Amino acid sequence: MRPILRAALVAVVVVSPAATLALDVAGADPVRVAGAARTLDDYRHFRTASIDLLGRMPTRDEVAAFERPDFDMDRWIDAQLGGPAYVERLTRITMDALRLEPNVNFTNAPSELYRHDVLGPDGKPVAVFYRENQRRERPETDGEFCLSPDETGVVVRPRQADVGTPKKVTQKLFDAHTVLVKPWWLYRDFRTKDPQQLYGAAWKEPDPQFRPVESLLHDADGKPIPAVRICREEAATRDAGHVYASGRTKAPPKDAKLPGGRVRPPPLDRPYATQHQGEPVACDTRLGLDLAPDCGCGAGLERCVPSDANNGGGAAFYYPNHMPLGPGLPLDDVRQQAQRWFPYWWSREVVRYLGDLFENDRDFREVLTGKRTLVNGPLAQFYRTIQRGNCCGPEATFGMLQESEPLFDPRSVPADLEPHDVSTWKAVEDRGPHAAGILTMPMFLEKYASARARAAAVYNDFLCKSFVAEAQQLTPSTEPNLMVRPGCKTCHATLEPMAAYFARVEPGNFVFLPQDRFPVHTGACKLDKNGKMSGACTALYDPAFADAKGATLRSAYGSPEHADATPAGLAREVTRMPEFASCAVQRVTSSFLGRPTTEDDRALLDGLTDAFVRSGFHMKVLVRGIVRSDAYRRSNNLASSDWRGGGP
Amino acid sequence: MRGGVAGAAAGVLVASAVLAGCGAPAERVAPGPSAPMPVLAVVAEDTAPKQDLRLVPPEVYMRTYLRVFGGLAPLDVQKRARGADGAALFDTWDDYVSALGFPDYRTDVPRQTQTNALMVATFERLGVALCDRALEHDLKAPKGGALPPLDARLVFAFDLPADDVDGPGFASRFDVLHRTFLGYPADRAPTQRTARFFELYRDIVAGHAKAAPRSRFSPVEAGWAAVCYGLVRHPEFHLY
Repeated sequence: MRPILRAALVAVVVVSPAATLALDVAGADPVRVAGAARTLDDYRHFRTASIDLLGRMPTRDEVAAFERPDFDMDRWIDAQLGGPAYVERLTRITMDALRLEPNVNFTNAPSELYRHDVLGPDGKPVAVFYRENQRRERPETDGEFCLSPDETGVVVRPRQADVGTPKKVTQKLFDAHTVLVKPWWLYRDFRTKDPQQLYGAAWKEPDPQFRPVESLLHDADGKPIPAVRICREEAATRDAGHVYASGRTKAPPKDAKLPGGRVRPPPLDRPYATQHQGEPVACDTRLGLDLAPDCGCGAGLERCVPSDANNGGGAAFYYPNHMPLGPGLPLDDVRQQAQRWFPYWWSREVVRYLGDLFENDRDFREVLTGKRTLVNGPLAQFYRTIQRGNCCGPEATFGMLQESEPLFDPRSVPADLEPHDVSTWKAVEDRGPHAAGILTMPMFLEKYASARARAAAVYNDFLCKSFVAEAQQLTPSTEPNLMVRPGCKTCHATLEPMAAYFARVEPGNFVFLPQDRFPVHTGACKLDKNGKMSGACTALYDPAFADAKGATLRSAYGSPEHADATPAGLAREVTRMPEFASCAVQRVTSSFLGRPTTEDDRALLDGLTDAFVRSGFHMKVLVRGIVRSDAYRRSNNLASSDWRGGGP
Repeated sequence: MRGGVAGAAAGVLVASAVLAGCGAPAERVAPGPSAPMPVLAVVAEDTAPKQDLRLVPPEVYMRTYLRVFGGLAPLDVQKRARGADGAALFDTWDDYVSALGFPDYRTDVPRQTQTNALMVATFERLGVALCDRALEHDLKAPKGGALPPLDARLVFAFDLPADDVDGPGFASRFDVLHRTFLGYPADRAPTQRTARFFELYRDIVAGHAKAAPRSRFSPVEAGWAAVCYGLVRHPEFHLY
């Protein structure tokens, strides 16, 4: 019925206006002769294909080329496949489903620098950078700002207003407890002994997308900042420090006078510090910050990210909030919080990864299974050093002092990418044994923070299935196993085993919990006589699935086998399922047809799926099939108001 | 007291009604007319499934807009569209980005696939800015300067005749605009599109000639600007 109607409509549309126009401009329009062979339907098809494959409407010249007798539509379609607009279109389809852009701040204590102004010897404010909880050997400042309240007149705390009245700090104190450093955000050659290439001066043509905020580049008088003043401990450049034990094991009495005018007592020694005093500790780990006064931000402060304030909202760099046409065509230019710097690049990593997949027409299954990725300078900095600061908190109780099997092996990071090489992207062929496409990228793991959210995203976006609860009365239950609890089991019987694949990736984080230290069932964590587990155990093991003998790793109860298979196992399983291919085909076809597909499209979808799978999951085959199909040609159907002769 | 009397009377009435109901014959439904209903008119009903035209993705709309504006970057277009003449033709892209239907992945706002009042108003505002600035660029020579050559013009890639334009003269120029915005020759358009736009053009020219206060556009310029508005806001520009 539809093709017949369509033919009739075209006839009406084409013939009717021509007859009318003959009254006005008969013989006056040379264009008509040139395009006489093309029907309105042909023009609409060309315009539709241009919109879908060129990413814009055709120009007058392109329309003129289309009108030439030798124009080959199929050849034109093939020429567009793989072009930037095609890549952007397919990336957009995937991103519309996954929505992998950050609405999160990310920072970890070892990498976060705060800036606080103190009064210098001449009474002018002097900006000093420092880290929260930095260990120092002076009891007056251990775990605090490097100048004590007695020395500055104020109690300096991150994210809190100063308490007290500032007083001048002597040069001697500055020299004793702070140093001047030429950091990575100011100097291109920050790794050299005496950096000279200052941003905005000798640093010629810095990457246009690398733009520190003015307050990091110039002082209050507008003069360029040649070096930053930072607490001496934070300026340490070594890779490994030493566990420090102060000898303080008991808290002072409440009314005791604290050293240096500090308002909270200096930190006490942890048992670990006492037992391992003097042993080496990696400086880019959380343990390094917590235990080693000789651990700092590394050469040129590479292991740290600056902010221009003493609060969590301090700014660091400019980059756009909106760039729907890509980073080269931003819609704005915004001074951004330091804590959004890495999440911004996590999102770009996903876009780059997808773009590479489509541009090079790789096997689409790599979206979940691929080991490779692409990184730029900030991502190289992140994977090389910053991500290591995420570990280890509760993991340390289980003997993991630094991440032993990271999802992205820092050794795979290209060594020649500097933090300010923002526009330079390099391929990393193998991130590590646990890498699994986008599933192990920070953006996915932060956007979908829990194991269940991660599994549900895969279920929805790559199998095109939804969890729909059955309509039944929920009854109160204490059953912790949601796979059997009435009312829950409808969805959770499927969800929990899928979520188990993510049990080894810490929730809200991307620290990998290796099997040897974190078995699915452990006797190291168990319920005490009061039915409680220790705090470190509770963070990683589930008290709801624990007894007096042991406990189960969080999210693993649905399938211990899946937990050990890791996200890479889920990727393998999902891409083997027939729904994976049909979901990809359905999603792309629906986008190109501009409507949800229905059962009426079954033959088309089956044919496309068959061709897609036989091709080895190559998108170009799929898109070529869609754009050449009759269904696509008909998809720009005319609305009834048009063929009835509506408006002008 | 009064209430008691009323209550008694009501009871009598109810009892009477019940008795009357019991004794009445059963109601019957009257049969319908034996002859068919007379045909007053025949209206054709289209039962074929319809597919609405789809909304051009906002990325495509914006890329096309930038290209028509001379292939500039968004922030350059914003600067040029805003101008320095106080015309308030354009705000900022940030003001339009959500109204145009872009998704916001950060807050899980999906892309919009259908128009709405705010989106249509935004199309109108952006379209007017494009047409006005393009007309200034293409058809208004700077003081002491010349008009750009035809192939360097953004939208109005034709010269204006010295005299008032006639039907054929309008049609050939309208075809240029029609191809620019809608991607096909005007003579393929449904209905009497060229004639209707010519009528619009003449109305604007005539109305503008007597308008007060005077516009920065001449009547002819205003006429072509109006034609441009009509095409850049045309449903076929936004749908496909």
